[in-house]
Amino acid sequence: MGNVLKDTVIHKEQGMSKQHYKSKLWWYWELFLVLVRRNLKRRYRGSFLGIYWSLLSPLIMTGLYAAIFGTAFAAYYDNSTRNYVLAAFTGLVVINFFSSSTVQALASVVENGAIVNKIRLPLFIFPLSFIGANLFQLLMGIFPVLFIVTLILSHNLINGIALLLPLSSLIFVCSGIGLLMSALYVFFRDLPYFYELLTFLLWISSPVFYPSEIVPPEVQKVLVINPLLPIIQSIRQISLSGSLPDILLILQAFLSGIIVLGVGAIAFRAWQDQFMDLL
Amino acid sequence: MTEAIRLDRVSLWRRTQEEFSYDLKRTVLTFLEGKYRKPAKRLILDDINLTIQRGEKIGIVGANGSGKSTLLKLISGILQPTIGTVRVKGNIAPLIELGAGFDIELSVIDNIILYGVMLGFAQREMQERAKLILEFAELQEYELVPVKGLSSGMKARLGFAIATDIEPDILILDEILSVGDERFRNKCEQKMQNFWQDHITILLVSHSMDLIKNSCAKSIWINRGKIEIMGDTEQVIDCYMNSVN
Repeated sequence: MGNVLKDTVIHKEQGMSKQHYKSKLWWYWELFLVLVRRNLKRRYRGSFLGIYWSLLSPLIMTGLYAAIFGTAFAAYYDNSTRNYVLAAFTGLVVINFFSSSTVQALASVVENGAIVNKIRLPLFIFPLSFIGANLFQLLMGIFPVLFIVTLILSHNLINGIALLLPLSSLIFVCSGIGLLMSALYVFFRDLPYFYELLTFLLWISSPVFYPSEIVPPEVQKVLVINPLLPIIQSIRQISLSGSLPDILLILQAFLSGIIVLGVGAIAFRAWQDQFMDLL
Repeated sequence: MTEAIRLDRVSLWRRTQEEFSYDLKRTVLTFLEGKYRKPAKRLILDDINLTIQRGEKIGIVGANGSGKSTLLKLISGILQPTIGTVRVKGNIAPLIELGAGFDIELSVIDNIILYGVMLGFAQREMQERAKLILEFAELQEYELVPVKGLSSGMKARLGFAIATDIEPDILILDEILSVGDERFRNKCEQKMQNFWQDHITILLVSHSMDLIKNSCAKSIWINRGKIEIMGDTEQVIDCYMNSVN
């Protein structure tokens, strides 16, 4: 490329002045809602019960883990298979949400390449709309289950409500990774292959179906970089321990969420000028 | 007269897709082998200066790959200029390759709302407008049918109905005026006539010289990313045709 001087580039934002909206932010919000609805409708073809279908997978997986590892690991959970089942279930909820929402977000910008070449649209809306669709599904399906379990075990409404805190950090982490991956996918179309490997690594390194105590301390030091770890720990502490929510764990979860979201958002912003040449 | 569109010394460099490797594996390997090169860029638009007044109907002619569509994308704000400034006053509606943005799994009504919100309308407003759009496209009975169940003619009708319903300040037409059957085409032409009489600024890209002669008083000939000539349509088309023959 020749030496192209970045001269005064003052493109007025009026190109698509959304005059029908009071503000740009409101337009983004409506766009987000419409896209979330599209994602849900496309997946469930209009049947609302489809959302409950998504409960099936974590329940079956939990049953499977309980059957295979339940007896061996019960010792780490106060000799209670029930505690193991609940721990496995909460871990699965987090890891399932993470992998399904980010995998869908990954392809979102490229998938909509045709439309963004015709209408000026904020590109970050596309990955976020998939996180939003998965969040809706979670709130309708699994969250009530988790909420009830928490109330039964803790006898405390505060714990039930506090569940929303690590859950929002989960949303931050997924949004950050979703933004990052959807941006990278514009450049590297073989990314899904590597991403599958990455989610598998994350899944194995998260203490979902095994107690974290069985991991050697040296390895544990490495595993703390897993951004989902504090979230899983916080959700388990709030829902299963029976004691009041641990603020420190919640803060750790938030810190991990903010860092991942920050990295994802900065990367997306920095690279998005190059997207249009490749879509 | 007020200015609707103004481009000052606009140049655009774009990465050429052919040379780009979309492959993470290969990119990493070439990087390790030290053979990594920065992707090449090509000058697509070269020092374009252009002023279009409000209400003008401008035809744009030129060979394939000369930069016509890229120019429209700059004006729509989809692409940013590498050098120079683009100023646009008012709401732009694109009418490029109708129906390309449809989600075929969704129903007709959902697509209308999705498209409308993308073009800058509020959801509630689109719900009200949807009735008129369906009526114009003659698809009332198909409201809840997924778009994949529509014939290509029906899809084109729907696209035209949505895009022309929104009453923009600047309308961008990129090779689109052949929609549906004879009867519907007449209906479209009538609607376009209304647009032409209005204060709407229209940019029309077409390879049909007759269409441009009939619809636009002024024209631009773009050749290899430069404005070769801009002015009276007859004159511009004569120059263009002379260069082709």
